[in-house]
Amino acid sequence: MTNNDADKTALIDRVNAQATAHGAFDYLGPLVFGPHLHIEHFRMKNGLDVLLLKDKSAPVISFHTWFRVGSRHEKPGKTGLAHLFEHLMFNEVEGLPAGAFDKKMEAAGADNNASTWLDFTQYQEAFPKQHLKTVIELESKRMHQLVLREPQVDSEKEVVKNERLFRVDDDVEGFVEELLWKTAFTQHSYHWPTIGFMQDIEGFTIADCEAFYRAYYAPNNATAVVVGDLNEQKTLSLLRDHYGHIPPSVLPVEDIAPEPPQDAERRVHIDQPTTAHKLAIGYKGPALGDRDHVVVSVLLEILTGGKASRLHQRLVRDLTIASEVAGFVGPHHHPSLIEFSVSARAQHTAEELLAELDRELDQVINTTVSDDELSQAIHRMELSTLCSLESADAKASSIGFYFTLLGAPGAVFDRLQIARTTTPADLRFAARRFLSRQNRTVILVAPRPTPSPAPAEETAVSNP
Amino acid sequence: MTSLIVERDSALPIAHFTLAFNQGSLVDPPGKEGASSLLLRLLRRSVPNMTAPELDRRLDAVGISAGVDVSRSVAALQGTCLARSLDQAAELVSAMLGQPPGDEQEFARLKTEALGEWTDSLDNDALVARRFFSRKVFQQHPYCRLTSGTPRSLAQIELDDLRAAYQELVVAEQLRAAFSGDVTATEAERFFERVQSRLVVDTARPRADETDPTVPVGRRLCFVDKPQRSQVQILIGGLGAHPKDHDRTALYVGNTIFGGTFSARLSHEVRSKRGWSYGAYSQLGHDRRRHSFSMWTFPQASDAAACIALQLTLLEQFIERGVSKSELLAAKKYLLNSHAFALDTASKRAALALDQDLYDLPPIETFKDRILAVTLDGVNAAIQNRLSASNLLVVVLGTASEILGPVEASVGHLATREILPFDQQD
Repeated sequence: MTNNDADKTALIDRVNAQATAHGAFDYLGPLVFGPHLHIEHFRMKNGLDVLLLKDKSAPVISFHTWFRVGSRHEKPGKTGLAHLFEHLMFNEVEGLPAGAFDKKMEAAGADNNASTWLDFTQYQEAFPKQHLKTVIELESKRMHQLVLREPQVDSEKEVVKNERLFRVDDDVEGFVEELLWKTAFTQHSYHWPTIGFMQDIEGFTIADCEAFYRAYYAPNNATAVVVGDLNEQKTLSLLRDHYGHIPPSVLPVEDIAPEPPQDAERRVHIDQPTTAHKLAIGYKGPALGDRDHVVVSVLLEILTGGKASRLHQRLVRDLTIASEVAGFVGPHHHPSLIEFSVSARAQHTAEELLAELDRELDQVINTTVSDDELSQAIHRMELSTLCSLESADAKASSIGFYFTLLGAPGAVFDRLQIARTTTPADLRFAARRFLSRQNRTVILVAPRPTPSPAPAEETAVSNP
Repeated sequence: MTSLIVERDSALPIAHFTLAFNQGSLVDPPGKEGASSLLLRLLRRSVPNMTAPELDRRLDAVGISAGVDVSRSVAALQGTCLARSLDQAAELVSAMLGQPPGDEQEFARLKTEALGEWTDSLDNDALVARRFFSRKVFQQHPYCRLTSGTPRSLAQIELDDLRAAYQELVVAEQLRAAFSGDVTATEAERFFERVQSRLVVDTARPRADETDPTVPVGRRLCFVDKPQRSQVQILIGGLGAHPKDHDRTALYVGNTIFGGTFSARLSHEVRSKRGWSYGAYSQLGHDRRRHSFSMWTFPQASDAAACIALQLTLLEQFIERGVSKSELLAAKKYLLNSHAFALDTASKRAALALDQDLYDLPPIETFKDRILAVTLDGVNAAIQNRLSASNLLVVVLGTASEILGPVEASVGHLATREILPFDQQD
């Protein structure tokens, strides 16, 4: 037994001395978080995972709660429920009327927010360290004492409908993104958007919300990540006192169909109220846990990362047919998409963009990249990774994300290590594995002829 | 003024640097808006004996990112590098800033890119609405001119204009710098001196200084017409605070109560109670002169008129009746506690200190005392003295043929009404 193990055993004994049956902790050991830090992993008897990272650089703490439920767990006809639920979690809690949750958080100086995606829902607070008790109390209450009733549910549905208009229906890029995934996935639940389809959002009932809450909001489906200027015993004691009485739930068995292999390109032409032609492409790509996910990330740095990247150089700078090029590989539990999006300059068309993009992708399939180019990409990744970990809140996000998806809270550093050992041969293999044309969905967007806006007019108005 | 700020934190092997000149796009000649922005962007691409792509590859090869940020009053080159590459960053940044722009071909390419960016930006309704608000709220004041320029003004700019802007902006006396992260004071000084030694020395040019914008009279509606909008962007406001106002902090607290947080009056009434808009906020802009106060919402087109009417009523009540003691206490508590997040990383501390220098703001160390000193009477007086529900600009981006009538009726007491196409340049 190491000194650290002995210390933690003693710590757990002290905390568990006052625990209920559900509220006692097991110590599962330290987990590496980069070259200098480590995370302590505890699990409560009710299943709540607890990850603690001491970071004394400022007198603040970040508390994140990650639930292993996202839009992939929804059913057709009920899309967007996980996201609506994220909104509802800021409403009434037993003993706290609607609005009181936010007021208490604000009084503590907490910067709080939440997000939902395909595989998870997470809630986060960053606050001065003396307010840890308030935050844990409020977070634990809404895990099991949320009140779901009118008019809050109806009002929140309206907010989400407006969010959908903002992000999707009145936003060209959001609309194209939704169409791309809807077309690329026919069987898997990645087919629908996290925000949900409008008719589904309109149709949710309180009963739908209650069933979802009972199924997924439980300690055995959650991880509490605490990062900052914390005292371990105090933090564990507070968690014990506020989560220890919450029973685990019987989690639904996930029922998702794998996406069948794609054997032909899918191509969709649309028009949109936009000023320029646009192109979006999605290749079926690796899951986050696949080593090739990192290799593809390096490949995307070479293709689209910054102004020195191949696609920027070719499409934006040399040919001047595009104003912007971007690439992204979905960081998801199941295999998802490697995406490219390009905006055309002037009257150049999406077809022209596609032809040039194909030439560049053929290059990485047929030839190897140089060591210099690979080294540049790795340095870019190293810099952006380190920049993404500066604050306690940023560290908590990374820990929660990778633990929820991969069970490896320090994976951000593991990925960097894989990137550093990636070879030109790895890149070519990944390009050949994923970037075949039969494996892709292409959306070509043309500007929609629209009625001209009214000509400029100025009128002095005489008031009654 | 302090020229060099260093906030060391060696927890991660990266360093941030900002080289800021304390003049910005206000120096652009009339009709050539966008010149200072183009200048900084061109400098970022230019070092002797290297093409722009070669420079980008060199930066990537050693782990340096660099970009520019130009506002009305400040022009800055900023970046981040792996700590081991700090010397190379100093070499490259000093080379970027150390000579006037000379590459005609790169300049032509950059202008074309900037024109393309304008076209792309027309898809972003929130940005377009904000641009119209900024242009209209400041009327004839220089603050109404766009830092990014317009296609018309960009077309007028020649390389000689950028050379002239270089002589005015990129001068040693105007330079301020902030470093943070894994960088020592000695390393920062060396970096700073290396840049400064390459710059023009010119003490003859005082900082451009303007008078305050004037208060617009009456309620003015600027309807930005864009076809096929199911959602509208609404910005309502007028003039706000001057950094030297004695009641600047009181007004800041007042704005926190009105629309500065998720539980503030505006968000509560518009979002939580009615579900009309995903976001509902108010803010006080800041610069060296009096800036704006504005509310921002984005409801469905069918709710736009009702949302405007509600916002105007809320503003009238806010000005007439002021805030309550309990609201003031809650806001002060929030501001005092959340202040920790203005200072929780070295890069934030450095940025705040630099802002303090560039905008001649009160020391950040006095923030808590200033908040504690705010009284109920002080907040309510500041709201009444500085804000107006009568002299207001209402910018609505939506489809005029569908909602202009109800929107116009909802504003009430209208002095002027403008309908402008969303792609109008100026």
